[in-house]
Amino acid sequence: MFLEVKNIVKSFHNEAVVRDLNFSLDAHKTLSILGKSGCGKTTMLKIVAGLENADAGTISLGGKNIDNVKPGKRNVVYLYQEDLLFPHLNIFENIAFGLRIKKFPEKEIVEKVNAMVESLELNGQETKMPHQLSGGQRQRVSFGRAIITSPSLLLLDEPFGSLDAGTRQRMQEFFKSLTAKYQITSLFVTHDLKEAILMGDEIAFMQSGRLKVYKDKTDFINDPVTGVQNEIGFWENLIPGKVERETLRK
Amino acid sequence: MLFFVLIGVVPFCAAFIYALLYSFGMVGVLNTGFTLAFWKSVFASGEVLGSFGYSAVVAAISVLLSVSIAMWVALKFTRELNKRFLSFIIYLPLAIPGIVAAFFTFQLFSKAGFFSRIAYSFGWITKVRFFPDLVNDQLSIGIMLTFITVVMPFFVLLFLNVYKNERVEELSKLAFSLGANSSQVTWKVTIPIILRKTWTLIALYFIFLLGAYEVPLILGQESPQMLSVLIIRELNQYDLSKISEGYVVAVIYTIVVSLAAIALFSRKKMTLNEI
Repeated sequence: MFLEVKNIVKSFHNEAVVRDLNFSLDAHKTLSILGKSGCGKTTMLKIVAGLENADAGTISLGGKNIDNVKPGKRNVVYLYQEDLLFPHLNIFENIAFGLRIKKFPEKEIVEKVNAMVESLELNGQETKMPHQLSGGQRQRVSFGRAIITSPSLLLLDEPFGSLDAGTRQRMQEFFKSLTAKYQITSLFVTHDLKEAILMGDEIAFMQSGRLKVYKDKTDFINDPVTGVQNEIGFWENLIPGKVERETLRK
Repeated sequence: MLFFVLIGVVPFCAAFIYALLYSFGMVGVLNTGFTLAFWKSVFASGEVLGSFGYSAVVAAISVLLSVSIAMWVALKFTRELNKRFLSFIIYLPLAIPGIVAAFFTFQLFSKAGFFSRIAYSFGWITKVRFFPDLVNDQLSIGIMLTFITVVMPFFVLLFLNVYKNERVEELSKLAFSLGANSSQVTWKVTIPIILRKTWTLIALYFIFLLGAYEVPLILGQESPQMLSVLIIRELNQYDLSKISEGYVVAVIYTIVVSLAAIALFSRKKMTLNEI
């Protein structure tokens, strides 16, 4: 397996936030993780990114243990819920940031960034500043900035949480095509049931710091704790005919 | 708007026009009519240009050191400074008027001051005259030390505020995640973001220090003098004909500062228009 997370435990002030975390993921796949706010999703991602230290457990990436590797050397990019573009850099420079840091030649930077701008469908926006773009455009720049550095693993912490429903749907489709094109391995955290099912090649559910990875989506849908059955029941109850029939029966 | 014009613009314009007329000899007790003599005299003496250059250098070094020290303190002790007690301590110097700060500096660093006495007690100096000139000195160390003491805490608070509001901590973590090291995060992310948000205030502080009066009056030397001290000296001369020259300096200073302020704010407006 490309990513292997074993027995990770993390507590803050004696309160266990992540309990015995175990999962693995193949290269070029997306594991979507569903969970309510405060269930430990963000802490889990930050531990994998190296931004938080685990109390116990090991993480290996591409067959190498990365427990003691600094965040900047892991080649793992963590994306926050907000786009968090660098406000002092224009769109071109935001996307080029990771390449400039790694001291790529100027010609290569220009070629790669232009190609990425094309993929992100942001032609003509390169010289604009982040505040001049819409929420969806900024989020695309954020993806492009991460993907251009060819990360081994991309960690997405509810990346579409701040977008409206329409933009969110377009961004989901866009992200799917982008990860396929650039063969990205990613962990996609969300609290949206539909999004979790749509985005992941594999799917997991996190509750009170414990993560359960499902064999397949059917298994996930049939498990009552995931809330899928409740959701199906809710929509069935909203069908007017059925509601009226039930009312008459009463 | 009308209130602002009546309170802010009208008195300023009236004072400026009065100073302008005085500088051309059109008003004033001994003046007899329009003349360029006072302007020629001021430019011929070279004292104004010297004072301008001297004031600009002192203000620039003070602002540069204040900003640098404040940036270091704000970034090094971000978490500590957000604690109640330390944030109270850092607010304290802002409540000290410039004149009081100047007196403190004088009491501490003059040849008969606190540190001179300590140096003597420890045997580091055998005579008072061996204590270095730190007030009323050629290098204006006393003035700059006082400016830094008064201004630096303000910049610390400003930078801490921008650090929080601009989410610099999260952006720094993101930069780490993209492969940056500590030095790259500091120089390519943290400092540029903070300076981009605060450069207007830094420039305004430079203008403020350029025209400071009490501190250079107490801690400055006889020549060259900082602009405000020079202007007041000219205006208070026994030789009434010299008063017009004082107004010439005041007019030049007002024009330079106003142009600088207009340039600053028109640039700010341009950025807002781009939005």
